[in-house]
Amino acid sequence: MKSKTDVVIIGGGVTGCSLAYMLAKKGIDVVVAEKNYLSSGATGACGAGIRQQWSTKENTELAIKSIKIFESLSTKLGQDIELRQGGYLIAVHDAKEMRQAEKNVNMQRSLGLKVDILDSDEINDVVPVLDVKGMAAVGATFCPTDGHANPFKTTFAYANAARKKGAEIYTHTKVTDIKTINKKISAVKTGKGIIKTNTVVNAAGVWSKKIAEMVDIKLPNVPFRKEILATERLKPMFEAMVISFKDGIYFSQQEEGHIVGGIPIPREKKGYKTMPTFSFIQHMSKTLTRYVPQLKHINMLRHWTGFYDVTPDARPILGEIKELKGFIQCNGFSGHGFMLSPIVSQILSDFITDGKTSKILESLNVNRFKGKKIDHEMYVVG
Amino acid sequence: MLLRIKKHPIIDFKDSERISFYFNDTKLHGFKGDSIASALHAAGIKKLTTSLKYDRPRGFFCGIGKCSSCLMKVNKVPNVRTCIAPLNNGIRVETQEKLADWPDVEFKSKSKETANVDILVVGAGPAGLCASLEAAGQGASVLLVDENQTVGGQLVKQTHKFFGSKQEKAGTRGIQIAIDLENDLKKFEQNGKIKVMMDSTAIGYYEGDKEKQHKFAVVKREVYENTLYEVNCRAAIFACGAMENMLLFPGNDLPGVYGAGAVQTLMNVFGVKPGKKVIMVGAGNVGLIVSYQLLQAGIEVDRVVEAMPQIGGYHVHAAKLRRCGVPILTSHSIKEVYGNGKVEGAVIVKLDNNWQPVKGSEEKINCDTICLAVGLTPSTRFLYQVGAEMEFIPEAGGYVALHDDSMHTTIKGIYVAGDSSGIEEASTAMIEGKIAGLSAAISLGYKKKGDSSLKKQHMGELDRLRAGPFGEKPRIGKHKISKLLGKRHV
Repeated sequence: MKSKTDVVIIGGGVTGCSLAYMLAKKGIDVVVAEKNYLSSGATGACGAGIRQQWSTKENTELAIKSIKIFESLSTKLGQDIELRQGGYLIAVHDAKEMRQAEKNVNMQRSLGLKVDILDSDEINDVVPVLDVKGMAAVGATFCPTDGHANPFKTTFAYANAARKKGAEIYTHTKVTDIKTINKKISAVKTGKGIIKTNTVVNAAGVWSKKIAEMVDIKLPNVPFRKEILATERLKPMFEAMVISFKDGIYFSQQEEGHIVGGIPIPREKKGYKTMPTFSFIQHMSKTLTRYVPQLKHINMLRHWTGFYDVTPDARPILGEIKELKGFIQCNGFSGHGFMLSPIVSQILSDFITDGKTSKILESLNVNRFKGKKIDHEMYVVG
Repeated sequence: MLLRIKKHPIIDFKDSERISFYFNDTKLHGFKGDSIASALHAAGIKKLTTSLKYDRPRGFFCGIGKCSSCLMKVNKVPNVRTCIAPLNNGIRVETQEKLADWPDVEFKSKSKETANVDILVVGAGPAGLCASLEAAGQGASVLLVDENQTVGGQLVKQTHKFFGSKQEKAGTRGIQIAIDLENDLKKFEQNGKIKVMMDSTAIGYYEGDKEKQHKFAVVKREVYENTLYEVNCRAAIFACGAMENMLLFPGNDLPGVYGAGAVQTLMNVFGVKPGKKVIMVGAGNVGLIVSYQLLQAGIEVDRVVEAMPQIGGYHVHAAKLRRCGVPILTSHSIKEVYGNGKVEGAVIVKLDNNWQPVKGSEEKINCDTICLAVGLTPSTRFLYQVGAEMEFIPEAGGYVALHDDSMHTTIKGIYVAGDSSGIEEASTAMIEGKIAGLSAAISLGYKKKGDSSLKKQHMGELDRLRAGPFGEKPRIGKHKISKLLGKRHV
């Protein structure tokens, strides 16, 4: 293991690996310390959707830029990340939701995004297997350039490309302490040795809170267990991700034929819980078969849990901590880390290499929670 | 009907009710008690599905619901495991072209059921049956779940007489042991201590509602309408058995290449001949016994090939085969299997001291069936999900859950028994089941006088069965397991 480096990134999920790639590309000496294996946390458990339809302008802008990067990522990294742009179909259930949807679509269109508003009888043109009556939809919004990619392949592609540019990635290497001198980062202690550094990026997902506690910083992030299931394989019938904010459900059909999706666990409380719940299978299968009745005959094949690292406004925490120089946050993605990883790593790598900051970076600093009104992202599922 | 076994020295295949069904619009007949796959096989249909990527024909390999190469559409419901699904009158069985079409038939929804019991036992083979009987005998309430139509696990096809001690049914045939255990089970079913759910699958482990409680989901299949059961229990015993190993060679996926267990199931459970001429790969006890059983069913066994330089199974089984004129070729293996859509022959090759094929020793043999008896792997996926500590123990057949001599794993209240705790045989599986059942019941407070001496007696029996050269492998395996467990929990 190296004894000295410019930057230590804690966490080998998609964000940590993409940031390592961006930094290494710029000639920065970077080390990733991952306590388990790459993508072993939320990345490997996620639904892998990528969408640009958001309710806040900031998130929409970020997501549009992220998709742009995703579109050329396979070529850039030299490895297929299995990006498929089948669109996101967001179900709208009543007049009030429709008013909000129209407002959002106007904002999204003003940013140059192509988004359609569908009548209820147009829904089956996009996803033929949906029971529009059963899902109680009065319409939908549809953005054809939304989609999904393979989270494992994306992470590995970033990691391999980072290694080629000189980054060192240590898996099964747990960070046990962070050393500081005069309110500045000085070293990272791991289970495999100490690395001297002046910059630490906290990209440990739901465990970021624990990492911050090592240097007495309190993050407002809260861990929430989330569950996903995958069904047996069926002939591919639709490419879009279907979501509903009212029901909390999201699902899509993977190219190999599985239907993969999730829904919030009823009455779930925060905590580091990993065991799947019985209520999820019931709740998910009831809702899913209401949306797609033909799935009643189809068996669930797998069911797993992962985490959302949730902040008070459901937006990520990015940038340097004021009280501790060199301690940079890259967490709190609240269930949207995978889709934002390309753009976030670009913004943070600019900041780390050139000290370049931006309005968006400032707005996502953890300081925003100090006694201020919070602009909450409403478009959260799962 | 050519493939139905008419005469058998041990099993009396009585004529049962004739059942008609449709296979891709052709009307066929089978018998009550058939699985869909056995009825198709008896009608000469070996190709059940096609592979997803290269469109290759697939028949079943394991015959016991574990390998998923027999998925077909039944009454428009896709992905049915036809090797364990029962043949019913009038059903429509169709081949699936690669991925299944979306079903467009009505589904009668059923509401969830709840079962609260002391002990859940997964698997009604020798280990699971004995665990259930022992636990219920102590007074614990038991739910016994199994995927098959009938209890007994692999005992129902073991027509040979068991070895070992009288106490552990030495001299009795496996099929008779299954009947005996089922009769014992019925007594407990009548007094309500054991509830048996056949044609059911334990699908997952979930967060319990309270401390010291385990929660599982079980799906009961009922004529293609399923019921979801929420099972709450204080202890669970996994007696899930094992899966047959596959061997790598060109053509190993052709219909007609079967696991030895699948061949046994076809012949001895359903009375269906797997083919006309068989090459057996592997001369361990399974390979030797199944070869003899093939002869009993009137099927030609061309030869047994064994990669090891010596025969692995009991001398007595090998001698029986040789007396019948079946050659056993050691230091020989299968090089490839060929055929158009099904097995038409195989190439056998001699191996040198370094396990490498000897050039020029290839021999082409016409046959329609290849039977693989090349070992088993414990079925342990459930134990992973429960969170039990797993270790790779070659002598146990692969990854197994670490367990103590009470068959208790590293998760409180979770026990393991039989092949899923390490590959061995039915006699030891039965004793391990008894120990697990007894230990689980005692841990829940169902104590009786003489419990400790009973447990000691079981353990002594296990030691005696494992004594001698053939018990060496499991002895080493179990020793490694307890050593690793000790290291972690001192």
